[in-house]
Amino acid sequence: MKKFAYYDTGHEFPEEIVMAAGFTPYKILGDVNAPNDPADRYIHHYICPFSRSCLTEGMAKSHEWVGIAFCHGCDTTNNQYDIWKRHVKTDFLYWINTPAKNDATAMTYHEHELRRFIAHLETHFKVTVTDDKLKAAIQTSNRIKRLMRELSALRATKDISNTSYHDLTRKCVQMEKNEVIAELEAARERWRNQPPFPPDRIPVLLTGSDITYGAVMEILEAARLRAVRDDLSLGERYFAETIDETIDPVKALVAYHTRIPQPPTRIPFERRLEFLKKCLWETPVSGVVYQILKFCEPHGLDLPFMTGELKKTGKKVIVIEREYTPTMDQQLVSRLESFREIL
Amino acid sequence: MITVGIDIGSITTKIAMMENKKLVYTDLSLSGYDMTAAWKTIYEKMLQKTGRNETAVDAIVSTGYGRANVKIATRQITEISCHAAGARHFFPDVKAVIDIGGQDSKCIKMDDRGDVVDFVMNDKCAAGTGRFLEVMARALHVEIGDFAVMSKKAKKPVTISSMCTVFAESEVISMIATGESRENIIAGIHDSIASRMVSMMNRTGIEKPVVMTGGVSKNSGMRSAIEKRFGVKLGVPDEAQVCGAIGAAILASR
Repeated sequence: MKKFAYYDTGHEFPEEIVMAAGFTPYKILGDVNAPNDPADRYIHHYICPFSRSCLTEGMAKSHEWVGIAFCHGCDTTNNQYDIWKRHVKTDFLYWINTPAKNDATAMTYHEHELRRFIAHLETHFKVTVTDDKLKAAIQTSNRIKRLMRELSALRATKDISNTSYHDLTRKCVQMEKNEVIAELEAARERWRNQPPFPPDRIPVLLTGSDITYGAVMEILEAARLRAVRDDLSLGERYFAETIDETIDPVKALVAYHTRIPQPPTRIPFERRLEFLKKCLWETPVSGVVYQILKFCEPHGLDLPFMTGELKKTGKKVIVIEREYTPTMDQQLVSRLESFREIL
Repeated sequence: MITVGIDIGSITTKIAMMENKKLVYTDLSLSGYDMTAAWKTIYEKMLQKTGRNETAVDAIVSTGYGRANVKIATRQITEISCHAAGARHFFPDVKAVIDIGGQDSKCIKMDDRGDVVDFVMNDKCAAGTGRFLEVMARALHVEIGDFAVMSKKAKKPVTISSMCTVFAESEVISMIATGESRENIIAGIHDSIASRMVSMMNRTGIEKPVVMTGGVSKNSGMRSAIEKRFGVKLGVPDEAQVCGAIGAAILASR
């Protein structure tokens, strides 16, 4: 099945629409191991390095994708649309203006945006996105979300490394969906038979910038911290909620969008806090790791409020700023070890 | 009981020996490229100077950036806990520690028992660290040891607006070009670091008394700038630069 790529710094993209159109959705996640040289010609190096990596990937791999769609995200994402139009070769580049609010007007607008996206797909690719196809895609999507919820819950009780979990979350957004289901089912069998949660590991809630490569998870592991809950887009944001299978599928996607753990690109930030507090209430964790990618503005803006409120819950919170690098940063390991010592 | 603490920082390696909870020896040397060689050299020197045999040492705790290099360590503990323990050794009532080291700076908040309850460290850059001061000293052609005296002669400290070490260096060079006095620039550098430290301190909401540790605490100009900004007199241990190693030696006995 041909891949349809999307650039989305949250979990805004309606994968199900692309699936119903007969394509495999592929989330562009950049490559931390590749230099950002091509992108750096077109984007200043003070701009989010992850976004520059995504542009690099787009320039190198767009021939593998039938099309690319953007979703409204951070300013860096939004403003890159014009840059991609100029420098990424593709026959189909589309921007879905997903709303930042969750009110009735925003939902009406969002529904309009999704129907407009469907119309463009149908016209350009000469396909028909029927309600039945959408409902089937939603069922597949929900199957993945439910499996991921089961797997995610095992993190708190079994010996599941941070990287193992992260690898699965990546597969969810990049692999063909039936292959994902097979992978997740196999993982479920393996994980259920894993030894119990190791006594030398400390369970934490992980939040902050989206983690798109394994080295960050390895840093946590090296500090003997285990992320047993999170609100990341490659994580619980992707599967915390399922999509209503009983109503009009486009309306169901809109409603789903309002319920997912909120990213920092949407308002109000209290909604994001609610989910994090829910995690703390549901799952015993010793502390909160709030990691922020250098130059990640939405999280930089959320940080003072969020950390202040999280500390009010009585949980210890550490804030770490990381570079976009595959190198195991020993300074960060050391900071996290210090955090572990005070937990 | 004899315990040893070894603190391998990015610039200097420090060592301390405690005997029955009394500090009996401290030393330091440059960490250099070979951190293992650095700690072994001062460790052997310590045994020689104190007349102790290696078997007399009951426990060793290593700390600092290069702590994993000390293979003979009984335990490894991070510098946050060690600096807190070291500061408490000199100031039993301490509630907060400011440590400005070579590659990082930190504010540590402690409870009544001396346990660390929170800490904040600098972001992933050299701003507000000892390295920042070194870079500025080089740009000004001044020995870093002269910073304290020169800053006190400042008539009108400049404002350094860039906290990025590289940009701040450019800013300093621009000031030199416009004829600004070194004294005013150095005082401005101290103020900019002090401002950053106070901002960090406010993030943890620390209480008094506050103790300053780390090599930069030897710079009285820097201390004054922090005291002025924060409005509090800083306690500075006699062995401030070795405080992490002393804390490690104390924790080794627990």
